[in-house]
Amino acid sequence: MKRLTGMSRRSSGRARVLLAAVLIAAGGAFAHHGSAISYDTANLWTTWATVTQFNYLNPHPTMTFDRMVGDGEVEHWVAEILSNPSTMARQGWTRKRTVDALAPGTRVKLSLGTSRAGGFSAIVMRMENEAGEAIGGGFAGPGATDLDGVPGGLQPTGDAVLPGEEAN
Amino acid sequence: MKSVLVALTGGALLLAALTVAAQPQLPGAGFGRGGGRGGSGPSDTDTREYDKRDFSGLWSRSPDQYQLTPCPECRDPATWPGYGFFGETPPLTEEGQRRFDENRPSRGIELGTPEAARRAEIHAGYRRAVLPAFGNDPEMRCEPLGLARLITFAGIGAAMEIVQTSDRMVQLFEWTWDFRDIWMDGRGIPNVEDYLPRFNGYSVGRWEGDTLVVTSTGFDDRQWLDQYGFPISDQAVLEERWERPSPNRLRVQLRLIDPAIYTAPWDSSPKVWALIPKEKMAIGGWSGILEDRCVPSDESLFNTFRDRAAGVGEEGAAGGE
Repeated sequence: MKRLTGMSRRSSGRARVLLAAVLIAAGGAFAHHGSAISYDTANLWTTWATVTQFNYLNPHPTMTFDRMVGDGEVEHWVAEILSNPSTMARQGWTRKRTVDALAPGTRVKLSLGTSRAGGFSAIVMRMENEAGEAIGGGFAGPGATDLDGVPGGLQPTGDAVLPGEEAN
Repeated sequence: MKSVLVALTGGALLLAALTVAAQPQLPGAGFGRGGGRGGSGPSDTDTREYDKRDFSGLWSRSPDQYQLTPCPECRDPATWPGYGFFGETPPLTEEGQRRFDENRPSRGIELGTPEAARRAEIHAGYRRAVLPAFGNDPEMRCEPLGLARLITFAGIGAAMEIVQTSDRMVQLFEWTWDFRDIWMDGRGIPNVEDYLPRFNGYSVGRWEGDTLVVTSTGFDDRQWLDQYGFPISDQAVLEERWERPSPNRLRVQLRLIDPAIYTAPWDSSPKVWALIPKEKMAIGGWSGILEDRCVPSDESLFNTFRDRAAGVGEEGAAGGE
């Protein structure tokens, strides 16, 4: 397991189990394309961000966004969305409605899990607009911490080899 | 840990509680051969008359997704890390082990973790998940899933539809927008040497009472049996026993006979679906399954994000609409 910095915290095995249970409970909605393992979903955080791109595509939507971290400095992030188009459509988040709601320039509040490899890469568990309305369904798991404006959010660090990395 | 637990949201706790409540805690009630690790008792309380040989309709293993009564027995027991063929995996042959070792799945319990070590009672196939960027799951390239994987995934999120005629049954799978047909016109199993292998094989069915017994052969051996990287050979025979035990439930037990890969037949755990009225499976008034294709160009775009999460492929996370 990689060591985590950015704020005082500990990965909780129990929290991971509970989050896994929640993901299973959500069934197909969160039967993610194997990628959830790539992110630290036991330590979620929230931030305001500005959408720069949103792709309503299988197997899961993706997006890029910017976040202001002070003194005019902007971080450029890439992210996967937890849900998928078919589930979103059945929840009323059809392609047009979702793309309109996430047009470039839209300010959104995101709940994120940062990639375990570090960097400005994340999985988006939940999105809200400025009116506080959820966009596209999704779920924010245990311990989401507000890190609006904190550079880098929660960034996993360390030198541990990620599962499967040694074979490549 | 305490702070994390305190920080759990009410919704998370509720969902976790629902999960525990929804997971069958007891073995199945002796369904099929081998039994596997089946679900709890039937949750369908509908007592209306119905045709036990009519499987047509829209089916899901997550009826709550359509605002219908939950179906606990539709879920694979919590024993397992997700969805798959399950049951007791027979020992692999030497060839089977070689092919098993080549496959690097990204689903299941993460490789090398304490949980993987703790869950030694389940097969190693369920305890070797690697990051998708480092895996080789054919699904991540939008290659065809293959029949057993289609069946065992169907209805978890994406739905399944069955269209039935007097001599043929067609199963339509929402995820990957794939299908298979079961011929019931009395034809025999084909000599697979005469035909091209198919990812979904060649299937014939016959009724044994109200159980539809399906035999399939002629598989393309590039597929995985399920998302955990269990291999299958082109000599494999898949037997399915389908039943409609109540008006709103469909159930199957699978048996894989593949002596090139497994030293004994492998019985799956039972899979159960709930019937979804078409008006419940509708978007904007248009009912039915969605065209939930795995489009290679979409997948390639997604994989640039996926790879970035693994610290590789720093460029290319752009494009799309």
